[in-house]
Amino acid sequence: MTLAVFVQATCLPKEERTLESGIEMDAFLREVEKRAYRITLASIRDADEALDIVQDAMISLVRKYSGRPAEEWRPLFYRILKNRIRDWQRHGVVKGRVLSFFGGQEGETYDPVAQAPGPSTSNPDEVVARGEAMAALEKELAKVPRRQREAFMLRNFEGLSVSETAIAMSCSEGSVKTHYFRAVRRLRESLREHF
Amino acid sequence: MKTDNVSEDRALEERTKLLFDGSVSSLDPQTRSKLTQARYRALEELEGSAPAGWRPRWIPAGVLAAGVLVLVMLWQGQPAVSPGTPAFDVAALSDLEIILGDGDLGLLQELEFYAWLDEQAEIVTPESAEGGVG
Repeated sequence: MTLAVFVQATCLPKEERTLESGIEMDAFLREVEKRAYRITLASIRDADEALDIVQDAMISLVRKYSGRPAEEWRPLFYRILKNRIRDWQRHGVVKGRVLSFFGGQEGETYDPVAQAPGPSTSNPDEVVARGEAMAALEKELAKVPRRQREAFMLRNFEGLSVSETAIAMSCSEGSVKTHYFRAVRRLRESLREHF
Repeated sequence: MKTDNVSEDRALEERTKLLFDGSVSSLDPQTRSKLTQARYRALEELEGSAPAGWRPRWIPAGVLAAGVLVLVMLWQGQPAVSPGTPAFDVAALSDLEIILGDGDLGLLQELEFYAWLDEQAEIVTPESAEGGVG
């Protein structure tokens, strides 16, 4: 009894909680980091910037929400990521306007085929076909309205539920369903020849 | 017609999901490495907010167990607590902080020796000392 009181009075329980939270957070970030990177890359088409944005989102999640229950982390993380991507895109638009005004160029253009990673198969034809299909998907996704694209990526790529997607997108579940449905229909039409 | 649309939607969803999963699983090692570094960088934020002396991920289980052991030993080594005295001795807590705070595992390894030394001191009472002389 007294020993238990003593242990509780010292820093052990707090340390254990922090340790537990650290292990859980590590596992969570490990699970989402690659998918988050691919989603970001598909959205902004710049590998280095995508890495920076993912790292920034991770840091922000740890700083602000590590004390929240672990089951809340996924939608919160994707909400942060979505906002970071949007900020980057807005910044890119402004930068593009300024460069355009001064007659400059925005640097190298993104080549989705070159960026498309090779799938785990040794069949060269299949590798090429998959690479092209993924490149086509990214290209068409870029043409889809932003909210529809976000809903599609979060629901389809990341596998978030409707309610989690609603939290990540800061909108109602009904809006998520509508955006997602429209994105699927639009992509189905535009990707018909590839799929 | 409506069924066709739904099944075509399903097909698109499955196909795009497969493509995306494939692109994730075949990320190049360099990118994976950079993502791991990014994760460590983010976790440093957690460690920064932790109380002093917190050790990330590794050590904890062993050191924590050793800490509890030391705690028990120090506790048992204290004189009986009389009513009105604090529930624990502050000196014992300081000892624990010194042992755990510095991460000096050598001291932990010598605990068995100190425990034995402590036992010997209790056995050699004044009576037994006198008997030994006579």
